[in-house]
Amino acid sequence: MDLKYSKTHEWVKVEGNVATIGLTDFAQNQLGEIVYAEAEPVGTAVELEGIIGTVESVKAASDLYAPISGEIVEANEAIEDEPETINSAPWETWFVKIEMADPSELDALLDKAAYDKFCEEEEA
Amino acid sequence: MKKTPLYDRHVELGARMVEYAGWNMPVQYSGIKEEVHAVRNATGIFDVSHMGEIRVRGEGAGAFLDWLLTRKVTGKKPDVITYAILSAADGGTVDDLLVYTLGEEDYMLVVNAANKDKDVGHIKESLASYKKLYADRTADVEIIDESDLYGQIAVQGPGSLDCILEVAGELGLTGAEAEELAALKRFRSMTVPVAGEALKMIVSRTGYTGENGYEFYIPAGKTARYWDVFIKAGVVPCGLGSRDTLRLEAGMPLYGHEMSPEISALDGGMAFFVDLEHDFQGKVMEDKVTRKQIALVSDTKAIPREGYEVYVNGEKAGVVSSGTFSPVLEKGIAFAFVAPETPETGTVEVLVRKNLQPFTVVKPPFVKGK
Repeated sequence: MDLKYSKTHEWVKVEGNVATIGLTDFAQNQLGEIVYAEAEPVGTAVELEGIIGTVESVKAASDLYAPISGEIVEANEAIEDEPETINSAPWETWFVKIEMADPSELDALLDKAAYDKFCEEEEA
Repeated sequence: MKKTPLYDRHVELGARMVEYAGWNMPVQYSGIKEEVHAVRNATGIFDVSHMGEIRVRGEGAGAFLDWLLTRKVTGKKPDVITYAILSAADGGTVDDLLVYTLGEEDYMLVVNAANKDKDVGHIKESLASYKKLYADRTADVEIIDESDLYGQIAVQGPGSLDCILEVAGELGLTGAEAEELAALKRFRSMTVPVAGEALKMIVSRTGYTGENGYEFYIPAGKTARYWDVFIKAGVVPCGLGSRDTLRLEAGMPLYGHEMSPEISALDGGMAFFVDLEHDFQGKVMEDKVTRKQIALVSDTKAIPREGYEVYVNGEKAGVVSSGTFSPVLEKGIAFAFVAPETPETGTVEVLVRKNLQPFTVVKPPFVKGK
């Protein structure tokens, strides 16, 4: 299953009706050393582009936004104790799993080629 | 965007470049944490060529600067560097700066890059006011922006002196100059002739990290040569990100955060650098103190950021002016402005996103230099 990507730098992996969401390699690299991370708790109802987590580097705080609406059914609490894994293993370190309310929202996300191009433009 | 004489070096070393005060500057090389630890435990080097140098000289220059700044520069030994605040007539802060004495009635002001042009204008206008106010005094003073003449590098950390002495020959220092540098006290400077240059290099035992360190004001065209010597010696290149983190750990203020046109030196916790016994422009600040600065350390994993609200006994009492994660303490640290009656001990709360988080009020610095 290929990943999908948002323009706010979340990756999305879909299995059945559940979307697993993390922060992309590009984003962790832009942020630098992550020293704090937190996911919104299980049971939170999220709207499209609602906040699902927070990461902080030494210098800055930034939020993760829901690329899909629904309800958080799992939250990765391990990132609170080991936020640095977001830097070392961005594709394995997920924040939340969302039971999707409307899977058709996935169509608005980018595929890998489009996301890579988007990052290139953002960096320029 | 302006480039320092070291721009090509930063790109070659793989630094992440950002715009800062109109300059294309390195924000980080290896990473902020690694750079902070290098400066705290070994030696780091910073390109600070963006800083401004303003020459103020001529008969009456010293007396004029005494009136212009919150501290007197006259009556000191010629190699002493004075940290002072440049205040507006209403007491607000125009900039903070270092004053180097280069000779009799000859001074160099080292100012923040973002404020340099504003400072030159302010100093010229102030000179006109000074001449009107004190028509009886001689003030045959020239104000010259010499920022383009110098590149500047800061070598900082407990290993900085040993490192400089190790490469003294490559830096073009004679034995006697190296000895003079080794004996330099904090906030003192010396000059060193540079081969093929009319302009002398200035070396001072100063910095913005809280660690022992030295700053080199180098004829611009020769800056890269000095930088290369330090990089070859294994000194860790550091960017503006670690510089800001180090200064906050060291409890040092930053213009635009702890000082501004709206925040006077006395509001900003800099009473130590304001000599109220002497007459200076902006002295009215003493009657206008409306807040005070406190220093906070996080009791939890929460990291305070500029603009976050501070609460005392459940009431909103102020706002964070600078906040970061301290790589040394591995905790959030901050400066905040609160009402003058706020106690300087105990616990306050900071609103971090949706939650009030406990912070302990401490006496800065957050991290003591070695």
